[in-house]
Amino acid sequence: MIAQLRQSLRALQKPAGIADGPGALPLGIAAIDAALGGGLARGALHEIAAADEPHLAAAAGFALGAASSRSCLVWIAEDMALAESGAPYGPGLEAFGLRPERLLTVAAAQARNLLWAMEEALRCRAVAAVIGELRHGEIDPVAVRRLSLAAAQSGALALLLRGSPPRDASTAATRWVVSAAPNDCFVVQLTRNRRGPLGSWMLQWSDDDERFVPATHAQPVAAPAADRPHRKVA
Amino acid sequence: MLSLWLRRLPTDRIERLRERTTVPLVVYGKRGNAELLTAVDDIAERLGLSPGVALAQARAMHPGIEAIAEDAGADSQLLESVADWCLRYTPLVACDPPDGLLLDTTGCAHLYGGEDALVADLSGRLERAGLAYRIAIAGSIGAAWAVAHYGEPGSFACGEERALLAPLPLTALRLDAGTVAALARVGLKRIGNMIDLPRAPLTARFGADLLRQLDRALGAEHEPLTPRLPAAPYVAEQRFAEPIAHEQDVLASVARLARRLEIALERRGDGARRLELTLFRTDGALRRIAAGTSRPLRDPAQIRALFVERLNALSDTLDPGFGFDMARLSVLVVEPCPPEQIGIGSAEDAAELDRLIDRLSARLGACRVRRPVAQDSHIPEIAGSCVPAQMTGTDNGWDAFRRHCADAGLAPRPLRLLARPEPIEAVAEVPDGPPLRFRWRRALHEVIAAEGPERIEGAWWSEHGGPARDYFRVEDKSSLRFWLFRAGLYRDLAQGAVAPSWFLHGTFA
Repeated sequence: MIAQLRQSLRALQKPAGIADGPGALPLGIAAIDAALGGGLARGALHEIAAADEPHLAAAAGFALGAASSRSCLVWIAEDMALAESGAPYGPGLEAFGLRPERLLTVAAAQARNLLWAMEEALRCRAVAAVIGELRHGEIDPVAVRRLSLAAAQSGALALLLRGSPPRDASTAATRWVVSAAPNDCFVVQLTRNRRGPLGSWMLQWSDDDERFVPATHAQPVAAPAADRPHRKVA
Repeated sequence: MLSLWLRRLPTDRIERLRERTTVPLVVYGKRGNAELLTAVDDIAERLGLSPGVALAQARAMHPGIEAIAEDAGADSQLLESVADWCLRYTPLVACDPPDGLLLDTTGCAHLYGGEDALVADLSGRLERAGLAYRIAIAGSIGAAWAVAHYGEPGSFACGEERALLAPLPLTALRLDAGTVAALARVGLKRIGNMIDLPRAPLTARFGADLLRQLDRALGAEHEPLTPRLPAAPYVAEQRFAEPIAHEQDVLASVARLARRLEIALERRGDGARRLELTLFRTDGALRRIAAGTSRPLRDPAQIRALFVERLNALSDTLDPGFGFDMARLSVLVVEPCPPEQIGIGSAEDAAELDRLIDRLSARLGACRVRRPVAQDSHIPEIAGSCVPAQMTGTDNGWDAFRRHCADAGLAPRPLRLLARPEPIEAVAEVPDGPPLRFRWRRALHEVIAAEGPERIEGAWWSEHGGPARDYFRVEDKSSLRFWLFRAGLYRDLAQGAVAPSWFLHGTFA
């Protein structure tokens, strides 16, 4: 009896967003989830890059859609990025299935502060996902490793948003290249995946389901050559 | 009440910055049309010079003097730094311009072992700083001031004011020169001449101010002290036998002070929303470090953690010089903090998140950590704006916003909104068409699809409301999605309005 009560108490005490432990966060699309082995791995770092600087908004949209959950989300960006593209806009987030009251935005003066803030946020139990917008510049592999470790410890999702596809190797679990496609669609390429195959998909955000769905008028997208991840989709 | 008069502040300020010389120094300034001496140092005083003498006359008497123009700004700055530094004696310090300070030492003197010991400590420090001073302690501000400026300095108990003031000249009552001269004409030169005179004729002839000043000096009427800094509701301080310099020691002292504050805060059910750490350097400089919290706080470990971040964030180092000899932790803003159940689900998560917000705010600055709030406005940039997270409550208006959306059906809103709309050059159909192409930040965008317009009226009830806006959601050739608007309507051109112009306001995912 008491053991049973203890168990139910333990279930209650688990943080709301990460109730099922550091597992995977399914995107809801069978093909992608299969490639990822169930979905975006929680407790790991993922890189999401825009195919080109102007496509950053699309990459940000994909990151938000992927991270969208009922738990707290922290968005950390550099001052310059916020001045250039503007801050996340509450009423617009609402359309991406994200409750604006669950969002915390942090402006960092330099990349160093940004990485520090990301690590702090990842270590916080109440935070389900952290998006760090680091547009340019090399990232210290040690910092990436630290972020991965912090994410692994807390089970939170760490997303690094980049302005252009990085060329360097990294310890991130997956790397995505996102660009906008006509008719409110996104082209999403998985260019690095530690768990399985790569791929390229055309997606659309569905307001009703509050998740991504395969684009209904999807044109077939040629799979990129595995050794040339930077190649753009036509 | 302690009155401190730095009687040679202008000349001391100049002399403490340079080698000692035997050349008499005077400071002069323009009074009316004449250049008069405003301060003289002790060598010049021995030569018979005094403030008020014309500069030309002083030069004629003693050609060897050095004369420097006055700098009231620097003087008041020095006075303020002395005032800051007197905070070590009492939190209630007021400036008494141009060259005095008033300290309310009630209930503080015993910490130094009595008033005399306090005065001795203060005098020692002023002497080392090279400032000439006169100090008097009395029951009222007026009496202390009068004695410091005109009497024999010392410490006097309450009730002695009458005897103390009687022999002093009337200027000691802080009266204007006209009143003093008028009183002198009727033979009243000392305060003692006036104390027992009938009050009604004096008021009738010289105004109510004269007797008010007299009453204040005698302690019959209360005179409020206006401290430079508001007194903190909770204060804990610690003096160090040996000055400390290491950050670790400072943090250890913060933790100790926080433990002391915790007891006091708990007793009254309060929590700290804003804390300030004041470090007193041995040479008189002061270091103030403030930290805010997003919920009432009294846990010493968390208070220490906040200051760890603040100290890390300081761009320069702590700069202890020869060390700090005193630390004070004050709670500037308190809020009731009811005891709450800990250890259960979401409440603990919220507390955890607040701690994260506090840490980030302490390190990066409170304005950098924000949360979106919904406001009741139809103007997009006001409807959803980000405010510092430490200032937001639990309800940020989003529930009301969602209800409004469900009722009214709001057109899509962008994912990111620019801080202010950026002007673009656009080619569009007149009068109400969407843009065909536009140039933003030098890049040309060909529009292939557009949605709109969504008309949002300006705030017509306000003078600065701006014109109506027609918003369009457009997609360009490379599939980028933008939120544009045209400010102003073509139909208003006939009424002399400015020509409409185009702006870009945000980007969609």
